[in-house]
Amino acid sequence: MEGVSRSLHTLWTITKHEFALYWVSPIAYIVGGVWLFFSSLFFSLNLNQLNQSGGNAFFGGGMSPNDALSSTLNTMAFLLIFLAPGLTMRLVSEEIRSGTHELLLTSPVHDWEVIVGKWLAVWGVFTVFILISLIYPALLLWRGTPDRTQILTAYLGYWIWAGAVLAIGVLASALTQYQLVAFIISVVTTVAMFIANAFGNLITQPTLGEVFRQLTLTAHYQETMLNGTLKWVDLAYFIGLIALCLFLATQFLNSRRWRA
Amino acid sequence: MIQVEGLTKYYGNYRAIDSLSFHADAGEIVGFLGPNGAGKTTTMRILTGYMPPSEGKATIAGFDVLEESLEVRRHIGYLPETVPLYKEMSVWQYVDYMAALHGMTGRERGDRVEEVLDKVGMTERAASMIDSLSKGMRQRVGLAQALVHRPKVLILDEPTIGLDPRQVREVRELIREVGKERTVLLSTHILSEVSQLCSRILVINQGHIVAEDDPETLGSRLQGQQRFYVRVGNADPEVVAQTIRGLANVVEAYPAERGVEVTSAKEKDARPIVSQTIVGQGWDLLELKPLGMSMEDIFMELTTEDYIAEMEGEMEEEEE
Repeated sequence: MEGVSRSLHTLWTITKHEFALYWVSPIAYIVGGVWLFFSSLFFSLNLNQLNQSGGNAFFGGGMSPNDALSSTLNTMAFLLIFLAPGLTMRLVSEEIRSGTHELLLTSPVHDWEVIVGKWLAVWGVFTVFILISLIYPALLLWRGTPDRTQILTAYLGYWIWAGAVLAIGVLASALTQYQLVAFIISVVTTVAMFIANAFGNLITQPTLGEVFRQLTLTAHYQETMLNGTLKWVDLAYFIGLIALCLFLATQFLNSRRWRA
Repeated sequence: MIQVEGLTKYYGNYRAIDSLSFHADAGEIVGFLGPNGAGKTTTMRILTGYMPPSEGKATIAGFDVLEESLEVRRHIGYLPETVPLYKEMSVWQYVDYMAALHGMTGRERGDRVEEVLDKVGMTERAASMIDSLSKGMRQRVGLAQALVHRPKVLILDEPTIGLDPRQVREVRELIREVGKERTVLLSTHILSEVSQLCSRILVINQGHIVAEDDPETLGSRLQGQQRFYVRVGNADPEVVAQTIRGLANVVEAYPAERGVEVTSAKEKDARPIVSQTIVGQGWDLLELKPLGMSMEDIFMELTTEDYIAEMEGEMEEEEE
């Protein structure tokens, strides 16, 4: 029990520290600004299209209000691949470059607590942006009657999606002391996972093809939660992916001790 | 408090430290003296749990650095050579963060941060951004960070490097004060620093401890103040040496390089009586200079011996 409460204290300490650091540098404002700018832009364009498709009636006609939101989140899920590394790239790299990791690695904290704390912090930062964007579904609910379940799963999915993409970013950052390298590794890895089903489609062997399809990020969000279906397997996929990335990041941070 | 036995560390094939053994007791300030690349930082990094040793064993306050790393880290305050600071934080935030990482909470933590900032004389700059601090101040913040959790053992890697003379004195004062109640292991390549601060000195070179002594003994060995050289104009050095040998406070005198090398008795200065005697004899005193051994000399000496021993060892191995 003492160990658990100690870990919670450490996690809280590191998360709070990292979260606060984000708001004293311009990077969080830039990433958040860009994300909110594009999401609001796409949302208004979609709303406009919705109005046109439904003739004069606001939120009526062929295109459902839910489509306006899910189409926006779909685009933003893809954009996140390029925005998230902007937030995560410095997380571990900068500590290694400036030597502060020596402080962390000689403090009475576990390596995993450092990694998980950092990930929680950056996820927390991103959660702030997502919370601001709740204004879009609020608008839909205010002026129309959208499918509430779909809005809920689409948003929950996006939140977890962000957690996973950020976890990949944390892993990339733990690999190198160069932020730019971390950025590139993160983008390449995530894009590869985004389009993994393309490889799957190339493989004629059905089982192997299905494996690739199941590994694809989009198979567990765009094709399911975004459309209003919530399945355990999709949640498990993202949680597993996050756990794997954070585990590997911890191993890489730990290996600094041996390679030092 | 610190117990090290047969500690060895390889970087690839390079052996940074080689079966190092030493100890430091509670309340002792032990100095690690050696040139750059001697293995001081490597040893300290192993002791602080930053990296594991290749071979050997080290314990801090009874905890094994490899097996019980977290316990060890709880009992250690560490100031690395380049003070790791978060530049975008204020002094207070930084020290508070480090205290929190050491598990301190609530009011106790706040009080302790205040106390330790006062101790290092940074109370007035508590709200300043670390980025705006001078090098000396950063060093003090680093020291505050190392002290905040009241560690039993303090490990300081080159704590005065890069400071101006006044800052050096301030930091030394600080170390002396905090060293009263805890074990301190500090590294330096400045001789005067260890002789002023430390109760015991370990001279380390190429990963070996080449000498271990208290500062008086080592200092006299290093500074060699009881030996001097006299040159006399119109007399045979042999005769001069014989005359000097009979004087009070003189231990030894023998001819060397057209003059005489004299060794004074311990803590006695034989120079007045020697010069008076020479002049009294009607000889011309041309030169009198102390034969000091500089830091460089002692290193050359220690490392050469070491080198020779190693060469011999290798030759023996080859013969086998």
